[in-house]
Amino acid sequence: MSISLNGVTKYFGSDLVLNEVSDEVPQGSLTALLGPSGSGKSTLLRIVAGLTSLDGGHVELSGRDVTDVPPRDRRIGFCFQDYAPFRHLSVFDNVAYGLKVQRVPRAQRRREVDELLRLVRLEPFADRYPRQLSGGQRQRMALARALAIRPEVLLLDEPFAALDAQVRSELRTWVRNLQRELGITTILVTHDQGEAMEVADRLVILNEGRIEQVGAPDHVYDHPATAFVRGFLGPTTTLDGVTWRPHEIELGSPGETGVAAHVIDVIRLGFEVRVVVKDHSGSTSWVQLTHEQSRRLDAQVGEAVVVRPRAEVFEVL
Amino acid sequence: MKRPPLLLRIGVLCYVGVLVGVPLAFLFQQAFRRGWGAFWTALHDHTMDSALILTAKVAVVAVPLNVLFGVGVSLWIVRHPSRFTRILDRLIDVPLAVSPIIVGLILELTYAQNGWFGSALSALGWRVIFSTPGIVMASAFVSLPLVSRQVIPLLRVIGDHQEQTASTLGASPVRIFCTITLRSIAWAVIYGVTLTLARVIGEYGAVLVVSGNIAVVTQTLTLNIGANFENYNSYQGFVGAVVLALMSVAVLLVLSIARQRERRRSEYLA
Amino acid sequence: MGKGIGVGYISLIVLIPLAALLTNAFNKGLVSFWTAITQTEAIDALRLTLLCSLGAALLNAVAGTATAWILVRDRFWGQGLLNAIIDLPFALPTVVAGVTFYTLYGPLSPVHVNITGSWIGITVAIVFVTLPFTVRSVQPVLESMSFNAENAAATLGASSYQVFRTITLPTLLPSILTGTGLAFARAIGEYGSVVFISNNLPYHSEVASSYIYSLATSGQTNAAASVAVFLLMLALVLLAAFNITSVQLAKRHG
Repeated sequence: MSISLNGVTKYFGSDLVLNEVSDEVPQGSLTALLGPSGSGKSTLLRIVAGLTSLDGGHVELSGRDVTDVPPRDRRIGFCFQDYAPFRHLSVFDNVAYGLKVQRVPRAQRRREVDELLRLVRLEPFADRYPRQLSGGQRQRMALARALAIRPEVLLLDEPFAALDAQVRSELRTWVRNLQRELGITTILVTHDQGEAMEVADRLVILNEGRIEQVGAPDHVYDHPATAFVRGFLGPTTTLDGVTWRPHEIELGSPGETGVAAHVIDVIRLGFEVRVVVKDHSGSTSWVQLTHEQSRRLDAQVGEAVVVRPRAEVFEVL
Repeated sequence: MKRPPLLLRIGVLCYVGVLVGVPLAFLFQQAFRRGWGAFWTALHDHTMDSALILTAKVAVVAVPLNVLFGVGVSLWIVRHPSRFTRILDRLIDVPLAVSPIIVGLILELTYAQNGWFGSALSALGWRVIFSTPGIVMASAFVSLPLVSRQVIPLLRVIGDHQEQTASTLGASPVRIFCTITLRSIAWAVIYGVTLTLARVIGEYGAVLVVSGNIAVVTQTLTLNIGANFENYNSYQGFVGAVVLALMSVAVLLVLSIARQRERRRSEYLA
Repeated sequence: MGKGIGVGYISLIVLIPLAALLTNAFNKGLVSFWTAITQTEAIDALRLTLLCSLGAALLNAVAGTATAWILVRDRFWGQGLLNAIIDLPFALPTVVAGVTFYTLYGPLSPVHVNITGSWIGITVAIVFVTLPFTVRSVQPVLESMSFNAENAAATLGASSYQVFRTITLPTLLPSILTGTGLAFARAIGEYGSVVFISNNLPYHSEVASSYIYSLATSGQTNAAASVAVFLLMLALVLLAAFNITSVQLAKRHG
């Protein structure tokens, strides 16, 4: 199911949180709504679900205007950041909730819930209660519960934010694979650009209630439409007034072409090395090197160098 | 941090023992000082039984009314906040600061024959003061906030994500209320209902003013106990008091169970 | 529609009657209101009520904090029973407490202690009914308080008393104040538990609620309403003052 947003506008009191947001989310895509906190991304997600009303514009699901359709008639799966487990129900009953509402017969319900629990790898936990699950397990339970009603759209609000680093990266991969397998149109809200780049096949970058740019992660990363997008998507460094990504510039020996500078710090982060330099105008920037490059260069603090864009970057440009 | 000193423990136990334990034991001793037979006979005193029945009738009306009001107003205040609900949130606790005698007085000023609505009510042939409706109103007044005081903080902690999730799963508002909301606040409601019941059954001052305290007709069990004491029939009074004390012990039991259930929930929430 | 019924209910039971009280207190003018609350009998009753309530609230502020402390940080046999029995004054009808205290500490006292008709008897009854307030307000705060700050203070060389004075007490103070305020407000209006033991001697052992009752039953409705308004305002102002101080203190301690 495709989702189309036309001029979606929302005020909280007198604050404009969404300013005429329009976008077409294609069927089967995994779109990340990416932006800093307060950019309106969660509000936009809630509007798609029908959980928040809108002050202007309309929302269409597969061409049908659902702006005034209540959430329970939209057939969307929604997962909250806190997973909102039904605390008084077992894992099985949590997942079965939507099927019960639809009056699915008991035997069929059992079959479908078992299948979903297998899908999210929670079969052994069917009789447990949410308080007996870990964060990652609760999240998978919430996903299974949302998927039970066979929604045509899946909406995930900061799905990995409450998990620790290890579980988070495992679940990211798992969610991406699951989404591809099911082919369900998915929107995910996140403030973490790394997460968005890794999981999504489409980025929508929001800032102060407006869309800054839409596109495939690689494209947006390499061709940011605005200074905000460039800054938000990854570290930047400025050389002679031009902004570059740290891996797009390199160091050379004094006398070669480039901006003259001297090394003020060398930071070793395992597989990569950051060389911080200060140029003649006094502005600092940093260059990202691999371990191997760093060893070859053997930059020392205080040493004079030149900084220049890499040759291959010019070829691309 | 080490444990509190032993002396403090002994001090607290003595304090609570003298203040609560000794009087409670004394009360039971007084009621049974003439043996089981006499107790049994006193239990079947006609005036006391009428009073007990009236108390039960009042509780059957006032408690459900206050529970419905308490749960409803809590949901309204927490889930649909507005300037108006902020005022309501403040107002709702006022009854706890009003002296029972004042409660009785103001109901009289409003609903007695020479009160604000007196002539309108007599025109309709309705009698509120010196009659059961007045007793119900006085009992409802003094116990008004007891449910919402338990439910409002819990609703705030739980949040509305479970309810919203249920709505995306296709559940109707009524279904969400029954299967999600009510289940989440069940123990807090039980706690509040128990406090309400205890307060309604135990109210004395407010009921004294509005009922007229006519034996067999408008005399509740608490009024009956007081009247027996004033008429130098303290033994009969103690028998009535033991009936109410047993109710209080049952109330304590329910409260302590409800508190344990609540704690288990709050541990999970933390 | 539910909202309308709710507002109607609270209006019929609480708001309209309170409005009726205000009009009855002031419909003969401010002078009559002032006369009613400055009668010697009124002043004596109000003073007695305030002093006994204050004494009882203060006693329970200390004893209640100690009780909460014992319930949270001690372990002993019968602790569960102690925890449950603290609520008894909430659950026990006031009249039952009243007649029990009257018999136990009255003219026919089996322990030969007669405190009826005096401020002592009134205070004892009030101490009983207000016992749970401070305990139940301090207990949850103590439970959620970590030992870290106390332990840190101890490692810095503070004595047990200094730790209590400088770390524990400031953390508990807002909840102690809240509980004491509630107890105070309740005590000011108390009737059922006090009326038997007090003997209701005008100018001597008559509390404010008893005085209002006697005015009302002798047909002096306006005077009763005036004293009632004053007593009610007193309770609300005290409650608000305690609450505001408590919130301010809590803010200062972050």
